Parts: sequence; structure tokens; C-alpha cells
Amino acid sequence: MNQSHTEKLNQLLKRVEKPGRYIGGEIHSVKKDPEKVKGRFAFCFPDLYEIGMSYLGMQILYKVINDRENMYCERVFAPAVDMEKLMRENKLPLLTLETKTPLSEMDIVGFTLQYEMSFTTVLNMLDLAQIPIRREDRDERYPLVIAGGPCAFNPEPLADFVDLFLIGDGEILLPDLIDLYAMCKEQGKSRQIFFQEACKMDGVYVPSLYDVEYNEDGTIKKFCKLYEDAPLPVKRAIIGNIEDLPFPTEPVVPFVEAVHDRSVVETFRGCTRGCRFCQAGMIYRPVRERSLDRIMDLAMEQLANTGNDELSLLSLSTSDYSRFEDLANALIPACKKENVSLSLPSLRIDRFAFDVLNQIQEYRKSGLTYAPEAGTQRLRDVINKGVTEADIYTSIEQALELGWSHIKLYFMIGLPTETDEDLDGIAEIAKKIVDLNYKINGSRGGRFRVTVSVSNFVPKSGTPFQWEGQNSAEEFARKHNYLTGKLHMKGVTFNYHDNATSSYEAVFARGDRRCGRLLEAAFRNGCRLDGWTEHFKPDAWEKAFAESGIDKTFYTERKRSFDEILPWDIIDSGVSKKFLRLEAERAYGAVTTQDCRHGCVGCGINRYVTCEMEGCL
Amino acid sequence: MSRYVLKFQKTGYVKYTSHLDLLRIFKRSFKKSGLALRYSQGFNPHPKMGFAQPLSLGYSSLCELIEFETVADHEPSDILKKMQEALPEGLEPVSCHRFDQNIKSLAGEADSAVYTVWIPVPLQEADEWTREKAEAMAESYLDQTEITAMKRQKKTKKLAPVDIRKQIRSLHADVSESADHEKTLELTMLLDCGSTSNLSPELVLTTFCQFADLPVERYQVEIERKSLNFVNNLQF
Repeated sequence: MNQSHTEKLNQLLKRVEKPGRYIGGEIHSVKKDPEKVKGRFAFCFPDLYEIGMSYLGMQILYKVINDRENMYCERVFAPAVDMEKLMRENKLPLLTLETKTPLSEMDIVGFTLQYEMSFTTVLNMLDLAQIPIRREDRDERYPLVIAGGPCAFNPEPLADFVDLFLIGDGEILLPDLIDLYAMCKEQGKSRQIFFQEACKMDGVYVPSLYDVEYNEDGTIKKFCKLYEDAPLPVKRAIIGNIEDLPFPTEPVVPFVEAVHDRSVVETFRGCTRGCRFCQAGMIYRPVRERSLDRIMDLAMEQLANTGNDELSLLSLSTSDYSRFEDLANALIPACKKENVSLSLPSLRIDRFAFDVLNQIQEYRKSGLTYAPEAGTQRLRDVINKGVTEADIYTSIEQALELGWSHIKLYFMIGLPTETDEDLDGIAEIAKKIVDLNYKINGSRGGRFRVTVSVSNFVPKSGTPFQWEGQNSAEEFARKHNYLTGKLHMKGVTFNYHDNATSSYEAVFARGDRRCGRLLEAAFRNGCRLDGWTEHFKPDAWEKAFAESGIDKTFYTERKRSFDEILPWDIIDSGVSKKFLRLEAERAYGAVTTQDCRHGCVGCGINRYVTCEMEGCL
Repeated sequence: MSRYVLKFQKTGYVKYTSHLDLLRIFKRSFKKSGLALRYSQGFNPHPKMGFAQPLSLGYSSLCELIEFETVADHEPSDILKKMQEALPEGLEPVSCHRFDQNIKSLAGEADSAVYTVWIPVPLQEADEWTREKAEAMAESYLDQTEITAMKRQKKTKKLAPVDIRKQIRSLHADVSESADHEKTLELTMLLDCGSTSNLSPELVLTTFCQFADLPVERYQVEIERKSLNFVNNLQF
């Protein structure tokens, strides 16, 4: 440990907001002697402490690595703007929370990529760590820079900066990779040799082992292997059964209140519903459940070890857990007994849900949320969102009778094949709900509110809509105006998102290697923490587009042809491209595809792994 | 129902956790220890606990006090042991005491506090700052009939001059020298601390440095609360 670093840190902590973000030493944070381990790993979350500490994936991998005696995982978060300024002025490099070690002294620095708008923060954190951001500028004295998480399924925009990507489940892959790295280092093998050995593991993508050739129109001509044995495509790492995977029962308890300050248990991974816009529903297949007993044990142990007073379940769709009713019936009394409030996100609002919600009072205050995603049945069929209007109204009628007075509705606009009729549908749904309320609660309606939130559709890689063009910012603005007019009703609040962010997000969601230039330019222009409205700099971004010569519309508005080689074709998520194309074609005909718990729909994942939930309904 | 006071130290990096964060840490640690706290009645029940005097962010302390009420009765020594296991590094419970049911709140009984303030002496002035000069400076500082400090007013949020002389009960100064000849001025002060009269060591620090013509950046200064004294012979 460098004395002057901790002295500097101590002084800076007196000058920043929420210094508790930067101190470490929380309950269950891990202390090890760095001299006694072979692999030192810095887990970097490219956002503030409060955000990153709410992320379960970090707690899982923190445990998995630290459970191994010969490895040490430490945490690093992005400093807030005030801290960054002082760190730069005082030349204090980015340090780990646990031992206050500069990142440049670690063996491996790993970033989790949860959303595209965190990419500039990845570069900024490397820069703050005094590590050259481009991989070609780093020699073997610098740590290996790796990244994983959902955005690694299209790694190409970060390919100039990251040495190695991990695709898929990390619980086994990440410690194995650290092991391999430590072994190569011990044996004095060059990093090149390490890359050649690492790329043979499922889920490892090493961008320097490939080159990309482009056609004159800017599309990809082909991927070229620069190392003969490099896999093409790189197969995602899939763990077939998550029941026995390590899961944190002693998670680090944040000092500064995190956005979700609670205990969390993952009930299952993956989703079988097959919504065509949803990346998570495609890349985390198949559905893998934990047993009810295991979930209960994990929940109770975690609560006992942390003293948390809130418990939440994590999955892509809470109610789809095969024994959800049994689970809820077991958790509700157990939580009540411990004075713990239970939070069940993304609950499908049916009769059972009302029973549950009645028992976990908390929900009365927050209102009920529905996500029809599209305004007409036709468009909901296009996106394969298996919700009918009848379902929604029946459920809302019940809610109103039970005394709920705030209904929140989520929609997307700019979906493929959308017309203004579909927007009219959004307004009609809101109108019908308001009318329902008058019907049930009388002509004055009481204190009743419907909130309509609309987000801009961003086509994502690895989904049936990966070939679609995105609406232009102007088109989004027109639709927002159109909806503002239509939704000007008593009792209805209308919210929508920023257009610039959606188009930048779209560029990186489907960007290629050349987008690295854009990313670097944006970072040089001072972009970071772009997910925060107060730090988002649209002017700096526009300047970056101009400087890098990246044509935004090529990545956003352009509709790709089915036979185009896509930047992320270098990754095999397990779902076949053939299936995605079939799904896209069905979408154009508004033909729905069943939930594969009713029978296999042929997505291709069972080529690699057994689908335990296939046909279970 | 039983009522207790737990005395603990707050040292090291954990001194950078805020008052509110500390409340959350304690709430969790009680829960984790299986020490069920009594909750307030009403719409939004809160556990019955509170600190004797909030400590400013960035101060360390050897004498923090938290009062709380538990549902069941526990031996103070048992509580002490459990909390020593539950609290994170830097929050070190020292002793646990039963607390009289008839006293309204610990905060209401607070009277004065001792702080030590460490101020680095700028290199160019290191020679002139001797122990004797420091002592003399503290004496003549206190000899002033009025000491005017700028204090932010609670309601108007504006800085206004206030006389703090009467709130300073004593002040002593000392100078220490490190191995590499860096000098530190050490001020130890007994100040009013409580609901009737309260003085922040920040105001003594700024007025003293002005008086002594000692240029210093606030972030170079360390402050520690050494003890907290109460009326009615309450001692912990």
C-alpha cells in the first residue's frame, strides 16, 4: 500500500459528498493478505457505489472468487464527479475499496457491462486508474482488462479497449480464467500464450485474435481469425443447473444507502415467454430454477446475516417460478415473523397476486404496474407479448374494487410495424381505465391516477428484432407530441424518455468495432456517467460523432437485411440465428409463438443444454 | 422493556459515514444480533434508538453514545459482546449500561464535549511554532472578551456573526513533531454541547487560526471527540 495514496485519499474524503462511497470496510467485505494470493481481481462497476452495490451479480462473483483461497476479489466503483475532479487534480489513481490498491497493481481488472450508457465510464475508470484505455497501448506490465455481463453479447464497440470478454454465466468461468491467468503468469508465459489458451474455454472472446473486414457499404464482409485455433463463433458459457451454485448468504452490506438496500435471492435464470424485443429473454436461456427449499434457506440465512429489513426475489418474471404460490405462501409468514418487508417485482397481476399483495401491505402505497408494452392487440402479437386487453381490464377492475388508486402503465414506442393506430391504442387503454374507475368508484372517481410511461424502442442484438431500424429522434419526438395530445385527460399523467440517449444506446447496442472511435471521442470530450440526466452531455456526444466520422443512422435507423453479417455474429448466445429470423418473420405477420413451457419452439438452446422446463405446462 | 446506552468508538475510515448511514448500520446490527428493539407506534414505526449527540461527518470519536430500548431484557455485558461481533471495523463498542427509564432522552442531558483538533503547521512557520508559543496563543485567544465567528443561521441559511467566547469552557494547545520534522498543533477544547447551548469545534478552529494567523486548509485538519459530559451526574 502506498502511504501517500491513503494520505491523499483521507484528505479528499473531507472534501467530497458522501465520502462513505469510497471507504470500504463494510460488513462482510473481505480482508485478505494480498501477498498470499496468486490472483488479484478488481471487480469494477462502471457507475456510482449506490448503483453498483445494488447489483446482485457483483455479490455473487465477489463470493465465488473470494471463496477460493488463492484469489482476492476487491471492488471498485466509479467516483462521482466531485471526487473525480479532486482525484485528477491531486493525481490520486483509482483505488480498490478493500485494500486501497491502485488498479494498475492488480492482475486482472474486470468490468461488468449492464447497460450501454456506462461504456464511457469504463474508459474513464481505466483512465483514472492511469491505465492506457486502448489495449494496443498496454503491455504486460499492465493488468489484463476484461469485461462481462449482458452488453458483452455484442462486445465489438469495446473491442479496442478490452483484452478479453466473458460471455454467459460467470460463476465457474471467471474463477477458472483467473486461475489460468495466475498459472500462465507463474510459468512465465506471455500474455499472447495466455490468450491462446484462454480462448479455448467456452465463453471467452479475445478480440485481438480476430480481425474484421468491411464491405464498401460499411457492412461487415467477414471475420478473420488471426489465430488458427480461435473459435468462431465464440460459444456462450452455460451452466445447466444453478441449484448448487454458490450464492451469497453474507453479502457486503453497503455503508451508503444503495438504491435497492435489501436482501435478494435469485429464484431462476432465463425466461420462456419469448417477447421479441427482449434481450434478456433470449440470452439467458434456458430457464433454470432454484428449488423452493434452497430459495427459502438462502433468504433466511441472508436476512439473519445482514439484518436487512427488506427481501426481494430476482428473476425475469417473478410469477413464472414453477412453485410461485408455494414460495409466496412460505415467504410471507416467514418475513412477517422477522419484521421484514417482502418485495415482489414484476408480478403478473392475477387473482393470486392480489391475495399476495393484500398480505404484503407495502404495495398499497406504490400503486400497481402493468406493462402491456404496446397499445393494440395486433402490435402486442407482433412483439409476442402474451397479454390481452381483457386480461388487463379484468385485473384492473379487481384492483379498483380492492381499493388501489394508482395504476402505472409501461409502453414502448417505435416498435416494428407500429402505426399511429397503435399509439391511439395507448390512449384508449388509459381512457378505458379512467372510465372503469368512474364505473366502480362513482362519478367523481375519488383520488385516482393513471401514469402512462413510454420508452423508446432500442433494437438489441441477439433478439428477433436485431435487424430492425430504430425510429429517428424526430419521429420519436413526433410520437411523443402525438401522445401528449391524445393523453391530455383528467387523471392521466404522461411520461417519456429522452430521445438522444435512446439513439446513442442503439448505436452501441448494435455497434461494430469502428464504434470504439466514437466511444473514445465521447470520453475525450468529457462524457461519463451518461445514464445520469445531470451528467449526460448531448453536445459532447454530437461532437464525438462528428470527430469520429461515425454515421449515427447507419447504426440506428438502418434496417439490416437477414443475410447481413452482424457484428455480434461472432458470439453464439445459444439461440440460433435461424430461430431469430423465423421469429422476425412471424412478427411481421403478427403471429405469436407459444411460451416454450407449453412445448419446444425450437430456439436452438437445447443443442447445448437440457431445457428442464420444456413442455412443463 | 429495557433501556440501555452503548458507548462505542468511531475511528478509521468509518468516520466518513454520515449520521443517517450510522443509524442504518446500527439498526441492521441490532437486528443481526437478535436484539429486538422496541418500535414506535404509529403509521411508520421506527425502532427506538438515538445518538446522544450527532457527530459531524469526518470526525473520529472515542465516546459515541447510542440509547435504545429492547423488547426483552438482556444483560448489558451480553449486548456489548453481541454488538462487538455485529458492528463493522472502526465501530468498536466499549461498554454497555442500563439507562434510567425516567430520563426523557440522552440528548436532552448532554452538557459539554471535549474535542481534540490537529492542525498541521506550514513548513515555513514550523520554527516559530513551539509548545510555549502555542500555549501563550491559546491563552491570549481566550483572553478576548468577545470571539466573533460567522455561523450559518438555521432559518435564513445566511452567515451571521455570533459571539462564541462564552461557549468555550477551556482551551489548551500543544505542539508535536513527527520523525520527519513536520509539526502539528494540537488543540484540546471543552465546549458547550447540548440542546441549550452548543458550539461546533469548527468555529473555534477557524477563529483560532485567524487569531494565530495560521493558514490551513480545512481538509488537512483532523478532529476527534474525546468525551461527552452530561448534567445530573450521568456518566458512561
